[in-house]
This record gives sequence, C-alpha cells and structure tokens, in this order.
Amino acid sequence: MSKRSDLVFKGLHVIVWIIFVGLSIEAGGIIVNFIYSLFKPAVIHHLYQKLDLSEMYARSQVAYFAMYTLLMVIAVMKAHLFYVVIKLMMNFNLAKPFNMVAVAQITHISYYTLSIGLMSYFARETTRYLQQHGFEVDKLNQFWGDGQAFIIMAAVIYVIASIFRKGVEIQNENDLTV
Amino acid sequence: MMAKRKISLNELSERVDLTLSNLSILKTGKAKAIRFSTLESICKALDCQPGDLLEYVSEE
Repeated sequence: MSKRSDLVFKGLHVIVWIIFVGLSIEAGGIIVNFIYSLFKPAVIHHLYQKLDLSEMYARSQVAYFAMYTLLMVIAVMKAHLFYVVIKLMMNFNLAKPFNMVAVAQITHISYYTLSIGLMSYFARETTRYLQQHGFEVDKLNQFWGDGQAFIIMAAVIYVIASIFRKGVEIQNENDLTV
Repeated sequence: MMAKRKISLNELSERVDLTLSNLSILKTGKAKAIRFSTLESICKALDCQPGDLLEYVSEE
C-alpha cells in the first residue's frame, strides 16, 4: 500500500509539473503579447489563443488595458499557484507528513486559490459589464470561466489545512508519548 | 529516584528498553503522555511506585 501511494504521489508530482509548465507558457505568451502590442498595436488582432481585442482597443484603450491586465494577473497567479504546490510536494515527507511547514504552505495555497477565484469572478463581472455596453468580449470568458471552481477548491484546501493542523498536534503528542 | 537507586540514565534505558532520548524527554518533564507499560517497566527497574515518579503540579 505504501509503495502504491508513493507511486501515486510521484505520478501527481509529474502531472503538477506538466500543468505548471503549461500555465507558465500561457502566462509568458500573454505577457509577451501585451508588451508587443504596446509597440505594434496591429498585433492586437492576433493575441494569445486567437484572441482579437482590436475592437475593444479602438473603442476604449482603458478597457483594453484593464481587461488585459486582469488576464495577465490571473494567468501569472495560476502559474505561481502551481509553483507553490510543487514546492510543497518537493518538501513533503510521506512518512511524517504532519509538520508546521506543510500546514503553512497548504494554508497559503488555500488563500492563493481563493484570491484567484475572487479575481476571476471580478474579471467575469467586468466582462459582463463591458458586454452590456456593447463591447465584443465573448472570447475573454475562456480565461476566467473556472472562477467558481477555484473558490470551491480554496474552501476544500482550507479544510485540509485545518485537518493537517490538528494532525500536527496529534503527531507532536504522539512523539512526546513514551 | 535514580540517584537513590544509584542508577544512571544509560543503565536505566537498557533495563527498561527505552531509548535515551525518550528517557530524557521523561526526565526533563517534556513528555505529554506515558504508556502504562513504560511506567510499569520503569517502576520495576527502580523498585518503586508510580507516585514516586509522578507529581501533580497545578498550572496556576
């Protein structure tokens, strides 16, 4: 059973790394596109993942920069979240998992996930507001459609962090039982 | 009690089959709990009663 859980853990580690690399590439692509669009606005027709915000740029540069900033921030936060998860998994000891470092990192992950969820929700509401004012924003929703999932995930991770905190107390008591 | 029986920590740890670090935890009062089996083996090794080893001190 412990060999199996080791294998599952290693498999998860690989998957998390793959997701992190994918999210980093996405964040990098979005940032590079943004910097390039500052010098060559013509590129706004063909942004990351075939995003076309040229109409928004023509109508209101403020709206374009605001939405693109939200896009960049959320993409970077998602990549950073998985970096923190990788850090947790690298320092995780399956033989003695209950320690204050793990608790702190899991709590940090839950707060971070909640931030991403709230940020995505805010971005979605802003998109809806812009759509009501006649902006073409359908293609933006693909970047923050998962906001609610992040909020639920944050709640679950917080519960896990609380369980780990209790686990640390129990493990300390166990270690000091002779 | 160890001084009365003229027994060192090393010798006691061998007699009760407890590691030095665990005995040290017990001796310095850092232990959170003690198993009855451990208490029994220590009492046996030191030829004493649990009351000779344990003392209640109010947290106030």
